Amino acid sequence: MAASRTTLALLLFAPLAFFAAFFLAPMAVVALTSLTTDDGGLTFAHYARILFDQYHWDVLWVTFRIALATTALCLLIGFPLAWYLVRIVRWRSWRRACVILIVVPLFTSNIVRSFGWMVLLGRTGLVNQGLMGMGMTERPIRFLGTETGILIGMVYILMPFVVLSVGNALAKIDTALEDASADLGVGPARTFWFVTLPLCLPGAVSGAIMVFALAVSAYVTPALLSGGQITVFSMLIFQQYSSVFDFHYGGALSVTLLVLTLVLVTLAGRIGERGRRAA
Amino acid sequence: MIARLLIRIIALAAMAYLVLPLVVIMGASLTQTSYLAFPPQGLTLKWFGVLFDDPSYVSAFITSTLLALAATAVAVLLAVPASLALARYVFAGRAGVSSLLMSPLVLPYVVLGAALLQFGNDFGLARSFEALLVGHVVIVMPFVLRSVLPLLTPEQRALEEASMDLGGTPVATFFLVVLPQIRGGIVSGALLAFISSWINVELSIFNTTSALNTIPVKMFNYVQYTIDPTIAAVSAITIVAAALVIILLDLLIGLDMLSERQQP
Repeated sequence: MAASRTTLALLLFAPLAFFAAFFLAPMAVVALTSLTTDDGGLTFAHYARILFDQYHWDVLWVTFRIALATTALCLLIGFPLAWYLVRIVRWRSWRRACVILIVVPLFTSNIVRSFGWMVLLGRTGLVNQGLMGMGMTERPIRFLGTETGILIGMVYILMPFVVLSVGNALAKIDTALEDASADLGVGPARTFWFVTLPLCLPGAVSGAIMVFALAVSAYVTPALLSGGQITVFSMLIFQQYSSVFDFHYGGALSVTLLVLTLVLVTLAGRIGERGRRAA
Repeated sequence: MIARLLIRIIALAAMAYLVLPLVVIMGASLTQTSYLAFPPQGLTLKWFGVLFDDPSYVSAFITSTLLALAATAVAVLLAVPASLALARYVFAGRAGVSSLLMSPLVLPYVVLGAALLQFGNDFGLARSFEALLVGHVVIVMPFVLRSVLPLLTPEQRALEEASMDLGGTPVATFFLVVLPQIRGGIVSGALLAFISSWINVELSIFNTTSALNTIPVKMFNYVQYTIDPTIAAVSAITIVAAALVIILLDLLIGLDMLSERQQP
């Protein structure tokens, strides 16, 4: 037993030391700085500043609104796509090609993908040309610098997560359960609602959590598509560290975002867990 | 039937939505005009030439590649022992260790990047290759862990014990028995790690300078002020590289995870 303890310690030493030095310690420094003044005294002033400033609540509200809308749209579009790939596509090669096409964007940087939308959504971009060509609008619609523009980019970037997690859940469902429901005289709509949906709920929830957490902390996409017109929470952090150099206040903002993300992920994780147990 | 048709339409529209921006970028990188145009007007590869003549792009390519390679190598060296410990031993705090090592997956990268900048400042490490490297190791390690851990099954362990019973030393057992069994997981985890490092902006942006820059950060700073075909050309290169890696992964581990009735 002693030998195995030694082996365990040897195996874990390097990874844990690395994470302690370059992950936990920096985070601790940030947390500590957020609670101190320049001369080292303890203070909650930086948090109070966030809490009592209307501007922060506005930014938080915009951030959450975009993240919520992103999550909802990702589910709304991602679910049918996952269903199509798992249940409707018969031709294996086409499904394989689709999966590759869904994964390629995930492996391409946010910059490249947001940049694609900057080009598409511009005044003379393909989207406006298309809309005007179809007579749906007379003048080009302004997308860049609006929440709609950010939303289009965010849904685009995060949807693959939903498709993959819902698709995985759908693929694992034993269709015999649905057949049984149908044999018992239950209609397709009710079978879907009471059998299929609950079975893939954990997958959908875990995909949604991932999307929401990533959307709340997103920086690159909103920064590029907002054109400086709209501020989200991560931009505030970036400003403090890159131009204002107020590490105390930046630290407080970082800790706020971190805690928010962790709470959301844990909360949604519990819901997913319950769904899994119920199913 | 109507529902089925509707799903089909939404799904195909969604696929178009996913593919469109990438097609537009690749197309726009071939335009002969000096501004971005899609559909491209005339076809030329000159923007790729402009790119390779620009020393700042070349050096950013080199930095990004070295960074991604080094981060992946260190992450593999740390993740393999960690996954052995997590899969083979029951110990107090095991769940805690596992969540700690996986947590960078859900962590806002902006926060970690800021933390590393500030922490680095205190130790004279800020805005250096090393500062970039340690951050990248932290964020890519979970990918390797996640693809190696599921391979360390009880069946795999039985072979390991057989080797030890037959007199193999732990080191020989590791290299001759364990390593070949988890090689697939290491390779796919390393590919994911490499890509995640290669495309990162949020973490790198805090510790890069104009002399020490990665490709995505350089692009990010550039795109905010100017949009021209060179940036489309860099983007096109990264898209093609990503597609190649994915096809490689598909051949290696099979990405057709959405086939019905697969083994859970």
